[in-house]
Amino acid sequence: MKHSFIDRYSDLDSPVHRIDSRVKLLLVFLAIITVVSEPQARLFPFAFYGGLILVLILMSRLPLVFVLKRFMLLSPFILLAALFYPVSLLISKEAQLASIRDEPFRVALSIFCKAGLSILLLIWLISTEKFHNLLIGMRKLRMPRLIGIISALMYRYIFIFGDEALKTTRARESRTPGKLKMNKVKVYSNQMAMIFLRSWERSVMIYQSMLSRGFSGELPAMQRMAINRNDMLFFVSFVLGLLAIRFFVDPLVTGF
Amino acid sequence: MAAAIEIRDLGFSYTPGNPVLENINLDIEAGEKFGIIGPMGSGKSTLLLQLNGILRGSGTVRIGGTILNDKTLGLIRRRLGLVFQNPDDQLFNPTVEEDVAFGPLNFGYSPEEVTARVGEALEAMKLAGFEKSLSHHLSMGERKRVALATVLAAKPEVIAFDEPFSSLDPSMLMQLLDIINGLEATLVIVSQSLLPLVSCCRRLALLNNGGIVAVGPVKDILRDDELLRANGLDLGYYKKIYGELF
Repeated sequence: MKHSFIDRYSDLDSPVHRIDSRVKLLLVFLAIITVVSEPQARLFPFAFYGGLILVLILMSRLPLVFVLKRFMLLSPFILLAALFYPVSLLISKEAQLASIRDEPFRVALSIFCKAGLSILLLIWLISTEKFHNLLIGMRKLRMPRLIGIISALMYRYIFIFGDEALKTTRARESRTPGKLKMNKVKVYSNQMAMIFLRSWERSVMIYQSMLSRGFSGELPAMQRMAINRNDMLFFVSFVLGLLAIRFFVDPLVTGF
Repeated sequence: MAAAIEIRDLGFSYTPGNPVLENINLDIEAGEKFGIIGPMGSGKSTLLLQLNGILRGSGTVRIGGTILNDKTLGLIRRRLGLVFQNPDDQLFNPTVEEDVAFGPLNFGYSPEEVTARVGEALEAMKLAGFEKSLSHHLSMGERKRVALATVLAAKPEVIAFDEPFSSLDPSMLMQLLDIINGLEATLVIVSQSLLPLVSCCRRLALLNNGGIVAVGPVKDILRDDELLRANGLDLGYYKKIYGELF
């Protein structure tokens, strides 16, 4: 199974890929906070945020088609969230906010933009940094140790789960000439149960091998991290860009 | 000089009333290459997991003279490296380098020291240049060698192998035997494949139903057809084929 399924393109070499993972994490965090905190009445700034993210993606040399595909994969969920929220408010007897009652489309669009831009930022983040480095960065930024370990193990176990799913599917298909003639629900539920059990057993073995090599709850890093002048320059430029959109775009473009 | 491994009255059960290991007593000398054989389900792998405290039973285990307990667990795991049967269970990092570095980093060595150890271990396993390779894309033979490198990088005094000879073609088997024979550490090898043990071990322990049935020189144990048959191991088939072929 391809191990780069999640952080695909994180091996690329671009100025953005070379930026310290902590800087990228902080930028994404700040950008999401800025985007999400935009008032619902302001829609035009989202185009500017989108432009800024596009610049990031281009600087990172990520294929736009790849980013778009990843985004499309998640867009139905964003769309549903965007539609359900105003609809639920509209049909609710407790709906008191006149602005929402009056402008459901604007609210839906605002939610879609906020969620969509946040997703794009996350796609950019995991495509420009190896997952392991992100975890190291998060730990350096004082993220709770337990969250780091859980994330690291989850990342690893996703592949175990995938491996076992692949093996059991091959075993099933190799004995299924043409269409499945048995009770599909039973076959698939048996397979799911087997995948779970086998993944569980393998996870136990992996944990034992980690313990054997001194694992005591820490995931130590081999490389030493250092924030250099380029990292700082990148960080400051991006934050200035965010602030400019947040505080200066609206007066320029009024009425939308 | 203290024995590399000293086991006294070891007992263990996964569920109460069903002992997997009973009254195990064993001494393995420093620098010795020691094999453990036995039929499936005899407790061989469970015994290996006792050696560095992954599983803990009754009785005592000493590694290099140090008794295994909560306080010495870190030291014991530094002294005794365990190579699992399935390399996929051992390799859980994306790249070979990260996996080989995992142990030394956990044992607190500096990044410079870790880099040197990773290089040495990969060199010893003839895997120089594989640092950035993805473990999951390697062949079984290569993964087995990476798994061994992950242990070698910590430079343990004792290395315990669980079924190292399974799933290997003859040339890979020869390669692994060469590597094993070249190791200076004390080795404990659990194996269902009896013949490779002849070329790398001096003594064997025969385990059955959770107890040690016999301990002795490899050839004495493997020549005792009656003992082997009585304990679920039979070399008669191999002898017959060998007789027909040669």
